[in-house]
Amino acid sequence: MKFIAIVGTNAKKSYNRKLLQFMKKHFESKAEIEVLDITDVPMFNQSDNQSYGEVIQMFNNKITESDGVIMATPEYNHSIPSGLKSLIEWLSFDLHPLAGKPVMIVGASLGTQGSSRAQLHLRQILDAPGVDANVMPGYEFLLGNASKAFDEAGDLVNEGTIDFLDICFLRFMRFATISNQLNEEEDFSFTPGEYEVNAIGHSGNLPMKVSFSEKRIESINIDTKGETEGIADVVFVRIPDKIIEGQTLNVDALSGASETSNGVIDGVAKAVKLAGVNPDILKRRPKPASSRNRQDEEYTCDMVVVGGGGAGLSAAATALQNGSSVIVLEKYPAVGGNTIRSGGPVNAADPEWQREFEENPGERHTIESLLATDESQIHPEYLDDFHALKEEFAKYQEKFGTGKGHLFDSPLLHRMQTYFGGKRTDLQGNTIYGQYDLVKILTDRALESVKWLEEIGVEYDKSVVFAPVGALWRRGHKPVKSYGTAFILALSKYVEEHSGKIITDSPVKEFILENGEIAGVIATGVNGQKITVRAKAVVLASGGFGANTKMLKEYNTYWAAIDDNIRTTNSFAMTGDGIQLGKSVGAALTGMGFTQMMPVADPDTGELFSGIQVPPENFVIVNKNGRRFVNEFSGRDVLTKAAIDQGGLFYLIADDEIKKTAANTSQEKLDRQVEAGTLFRADTIEELAVKVGMDPEVLKETIIKYNSYVDAGFDPEFHKDTFSLKVEKAPFYATPRKPAVHHTMGGLKIDTNTHVLDENGQPIKHLYAAGEVAGGIHAGNRLGGNALTDIFTFGRIAGKTAVDEME
Amino acid sequence: MKYLAIVGTNSDVSTNRMLLQFMQKHFSSEAEIELYEIKDLPAFMEPEDLEVPEKVEELSDKILNADGVIIATPEYDHAIPAVLKSALEWISYTSQALTDKPVLIVGASHGTLGSSRAQAHLRQILDSPELAARIMPSSEFLLGKSQAAFDNAGDLIYPDKLTELDEIFREFVLFTDITTKLLAEKVQKKSAKKFTWQE
Repeated sequence: MKFIAIVGTNAKKSYNRKLLQFMKKHFESKAEIEVLDITDVPMFNQSDNQSYGEVIQMFNNKITESDGVIMATPEYNHSIPSGLKSLIEWLSFDLHPLAGKPVMIVGASLGTQGSSRAQLHLRQILDAPGVDANVMPGYEFLLGNASKAFDEAGDLVNEGTIDFLDICFLRFMRFATISNQLNEEEDFSFTPGEYEVNAIGHSGNLPMKVSFSEKRIESINIDTKGETEGIADVVFVRIPDKIIEGQTLNVDALSGASETSNGVIDGVAKAVKLAGVNPDILKRRPKPASSRNRQDEEYTCDMVVVGGGGAGLSAAATALQNGSSVIVLEKYPAVGGNTIRSGGPVNAADPEWQREFEENPGERHTIESLLATDESQIHPEYLDDFHALKEEFAKYQEKFGTGKGHLFDSPLLHRMQTYFGGKRTDLQGNTIYGQYDLVKILTDRALESVKWLEEIGVEYDKSVVFAPVGALWRRGHKPVKSYGTAFILALSKYVEEHSGKIITDSPVKEFILENGEIAGVIATGVNGQKITVRAKAVVLASGGFGANTKMLKEYNTYWAAIDDNIRTTNSFAMTGDGIQLGKSVGAALTGMGFTQMMPVADPDTGELFSGIQVPPENFVIVNKNGRRFVNEFSGRDVLTKAAIDQGGLFYLIADDEIKKTAANTSQEKLDRQVEAGTLFRADTIEELAVKVGMDPEVLKETIIKYNSYVDAGFDPEFHKDTFSLKVEKAPFYATPRKPAVHHTMGGLKIDTNTHVLDENGQPIKHLYAAGEVAGGIHAGNRLGGNALTDIFTFGRIAGKTAVDEME
Repeated sequence: MKYLAIVGTNSDVSTNRMLLQFMQKHFSSEAEIELYEIKDLPAFMEPEDLEVPEKVEELSDKILNADGVIIATPEYDHAIPAVLKSALEWISYTSQALTDKPVLIVGASHGTLGSSRAQAHLRQILDSPELAARIMPSSEFLLGKSQAAFDNAGDLIYPDKLTELDEIFREFVLFTDITTKLLAEKVQKKSAKKFTWQE
């Protein structure tokens, strides 16, 4: 038998070490004992995981391979030394080599106690979940007065002590043999067949079918209708794959989707039980081989792209079209980034197509008021375009006069709307607007992007043209398949079919610099391994920083306050990684203080479609005290500003009729939200007020007043001018809302060729950036539908420029 | 009253730290509470040259200058974290600054138990002759489900726990007073003898 003996102290001189060395020698004929010191073990810190460092790995491997462990502990302050405790903490964090391992405890002390209290503590510690050692009961070996216990050769002098140590050790050998049998897997066989179970996912029930042969889990099919697309989709493929690969339930949850991951694992465990097997057997199995691979990886390619959203995949596809080899590194388990979450079409003026649609009432008026802007309010570089647009529109007016015309549009109108839409002044009085050359490219090449995507495989529904929220004009090209997903599916398929490599789960940590020039990137792989990618060009397409509150607070100059727990409509991956990477090589930043918020988001999740979301004519917005504070028909900016002034949190009040005007929900979903406490419902306004902590009289008065304004069609308080329904029919609802970050307009400073510029305006060699990671285009406010235009246009330019400039 | 509040972990994210931050704010009219982070202390190791690390001296001084000490401990493997144990080992091996010092133990955990086993261990540890702190008896503040216990402003939102904490803290202030009086009457001062665990 082979045992590992751990000296429980880092002291230079230790009787516990002496005791173990004696045991090693004394029991030589019976077992092989290797004595290990803990001197090099770092202090445990859960924020600085060193489980895979040399020292902890050495302990992990040696313990795993051994037949048992002997621990010799001194007693420090009635307990075990911190050094020993630290080792055990490391061995119960990411790694669990002591689980099920037979352990014998011994101890020596200078006094008479022989470490008695420390040994009891050690027993309790080793019994903790996560450690799960199998400590031999009884047979306490306490060596008191240790300074007199050994002779010069290091042998125990007292015969009685040696006899007792013999008894204890022989017992341990027997204990270890039997104890290790417990670690051998129990024999089992599934009752073959298909079992239906329900697991609990992030958004409710996950019905799944799991089928078994006698010895194996054969397939796992999950009905995913109820779950949000994106990362959850990956869970439904990845987790079942891992379970089947390793025939194990010891599978790690995916980052960003732990609830759904565990839902799937629990569901399979239920099915295992139905098939007549104890799920614990499968939970005790090792992780699948693919999860244990920590081998470092090295790649060489022409271009490496950081971020697998719309911008990154467009850059990759373009480079592939131009004959380069490409690797895309995505930090999440799935590509898609924010693009896949997009619920809107791509903006691009396409007059020939738009001509097929009739103009809507009021549209000419919109253009007229835009063209009536006083020229002193327009920045000089935009004036020529402003004049040219006037001429274009004059021709249109001439053609149609007072008759019904077709839908008007042109790249010039798109450009001027992007400019006016983005012009904002921050709290310090600084005015920002879109950089002309970038906005010109965005609007001139938008249609080209739409057509390019069509070649890549995106199919559009040409029968409709509409304006997504906040777009100001009907020029949205809507894919047939559901929005963001359509773009990502087509692009990622294209990239992979043309030999581009996509590596997921791998956040990029730093650039490789050679002679001061960028020569690639280093990422961390899914199992913590180092991934080195050498490349001639690096494209940063890692998105904005909407999910990084620290950065939002640091740079904000636009909003009065950014809450510590501000939420975002973005993917949690949007933490400004590319901006930090750019900064590390001296990139300049622009417009960082300006962020766009969605005012009506879920205060806990940032989701837009929870609760009761109705058209604004039916919004009744009240603050925490039950009072209205804003014209509900205001734009995003105004609503957000007003909400922040009220402390962020506010409520949408609805009655049973208003509820019926809500899209994206069902009674079942609402009932579940009420049960979960994220939506409030009551039979009277007063009861509703109590539920959300308002004064019932105040809320009642607010609603009476609001209803009277609906009757009068006039709101003397906040001047809401479009009304539909009153709040009168029970049950009544209150949906808590809070502004959430939607888009970060600022970012790396780029030129029209997507070169990342340094503080002196000079391009940083081999570095390009596209999409939300770059700034300068949308300035203070991004038009709805323009983010997609941005990523596909500048993503393509990045790919093309990088290839053209390769040495 | 002036208390030193020791955060019993080196983790960047800690509800025990939040608990102490809340106590600091909540009891600001009753006592001045200073938070102390132990993450920068070296790991305990008997120094060969008998030199005491600067950080350890700093902690000893702060303990000596305080009227009492509050320790917030998480529970790692049924016990206190190694890093807290290491700090206590330094104190007992060098200044023994905790001797006769009034100590209040609190703790928070993500689960429901609120670090109960770690607190019991900590009591036994502080009761060892080299530490010999005056731990407030018959009191226990266990904050379970600590991740949901604080609101955005860092305030404790469980009403029953808040009442309990108010009562325990009031008692601790009294206990500090009584202990000080008791010690004034104490005839035999403990001799600050040098000792070693090994030899």
